[in-house]
Amino acid sequence: MDPALHFILIDDSKLDCLITEKIIQNIGICASVKSFLEAAAALEYIKNNPASADGAKIILMLDIYMPLMNGFEFIEEFEKLSPEIRNLYSIFILSSSINENDQNRVANYKTVKHFLNKPLNGDFLISLLT
Amino acid sequence: MSTPEKIKILYVDDEMNNLVGFNASFRIDYNLFIATNTTEALEHLKKHADIRIIFCDQRMPDKTGVQFFEEIRSEYPLPIRMLLTGYADIDSVIDSINRGNIFKYIKKPWTDADIITSINEANKFYLVSSMLALKNQELEKAYEELDKFSYSVTHDMRGPLLSILGAVAVTQQIDDVVEIKEMLNLMATSVKKLDDFIQAIHDYYSLKRGALQIVEVDFNDLVKEMEDIYKITSTINGVRFKTKVVQHEVFRCDEMSLKVIFNNLLSNAFKYQRKENDDKWIEMDIEIVKGMATIKVTDNGIGIPQNFIGEIFNMFFRATSQDVGSGFGLYNVKDALAKINGEITLNSEIGKGTSFLVTIPNK
Repeated sequence: MDPALHFILIDDSKLDCLITEKIIQNIGICASVKSFLEAAAALEYIKNNPASADGAKIILMLDIYMPLMNGFEFIEEFEKLSPEIRNLYSIFILSSSINENDQNRVANYKTVKHFLNKPLNGDFLISLLT
Repeated sequence: MSTPEKIKILYVDDEMNNLVGFNASFRIDYNLFIATNTTEALEHLKKHADIRIIFCDQRMPDKTGVQFFEEIRSEYPLPIRMLLTGYADIDSVIDSINRGNIFKYIKKPWTDADIITSINEANKFYLVSSMLALKNQELEKAYEELDKFSYSVTHDMRGPLLSILGAVAVTQQIDDVVEIKEMLNLMATSVKKLDDFIQAIHDYYSLKRGALQIVEVDFNDLVKEMEDIYKITSTINGVRFKTKVVQHEVFRCDEMSLKVIFNNLLSNAFKYQRKENDDKWIEMDIEIVKGMATIKVTDNGIGIPQNFIGEIFNMFFRATSQDVGSGFGLYNVKDALAKINGEITLNSEIGKGTSFLVTIPNK
């Protein structure tokens, strides 16, 4: 397993960002973590800085329900980016939703690797990334 | 008690004598519409949607009463249809009653007592079925809202709970007391968020289900209460809260609705301030003139993007991720205003601030 992954968190809840940051840092596979409270800001950042400094894979943790741009809208915008950029990222949904429609809808996006429930389970994440 | 409005009745008959007789007997007690043929009858129905009862003669030159009722049934389902007929036509009448086109038939020649009894019965039936239709509509709307509601509630209630669960898991790995305390503070924020949401649901139901309680409102007292509620927030966040009340007349209104409106407009004004602004302020200006209360809540906060202004009163809509919010507040404001016949408008400019103008008439 690559010990140094980069993480981008997108969640409108500051507390949830902080918790996920700590969990990720604790499992020791994290080279860097960056949090965004607004999906549009994250998208802007990705467009301007598509690749990580060392070229390592970037894991994107995405919440669904957010004001302004929600998780679905973010994915749709992300899928418009060039394949070169998209291939640098793995998207994981991290949501509190127990709604089946949400889970089914997420399954339809091919860029999304997995639907994870909050709070993030560090060991499970490792098993998915290895 | 006010006198109930007269029941509207349409009577269709090609024989002038019958029309005149009917008119003479019932014009005092009922609001009568008379037609000598079905074309005229349709015109009355078109103009007066609230005609409750239709009497129609069976034998008319252009068509029979049974045919007329069959034709209008789908377009005008609400009025109760009653046929006036002699024994000769009884077979077609029975058939029509069985198919539900006719509520009742009245034997010719009719007596006033026959007609009055039929009107009373028909009116009762009309009231019950129109009430049922209305209740059904309300129920459909309630179900729709419930769907939306339960969908969002699971998210808005689970969100903070899962945050706390996550925070607990993280905190269990921490030994440093200072860091643990920091996490506890964050957990408290989540608890507060959940509590705010529950409070908003409480407001929602009180507004939806609660009856109005009209009392004399002293706006000075109400504003004093708001000042007390927001004193701490105002001090901690460095927001000047200026109020002005001009009330020289008695104003009657539902106080619960007013509080929901004031509270939500003010809590938004406090929440959505520009953090970097050195001179944060909120102004609440109230004036009561000639039975009309005008309430203006102005802030110099972040403002609302123009393209979202149309949506901010929708349930669960949020136009910003700054600070915690349920997306319930302005929906409740709008609901409260609808209850007390008030209106709301706003002006907003990004980075400059927002001004809400509420007008409420005296009850």
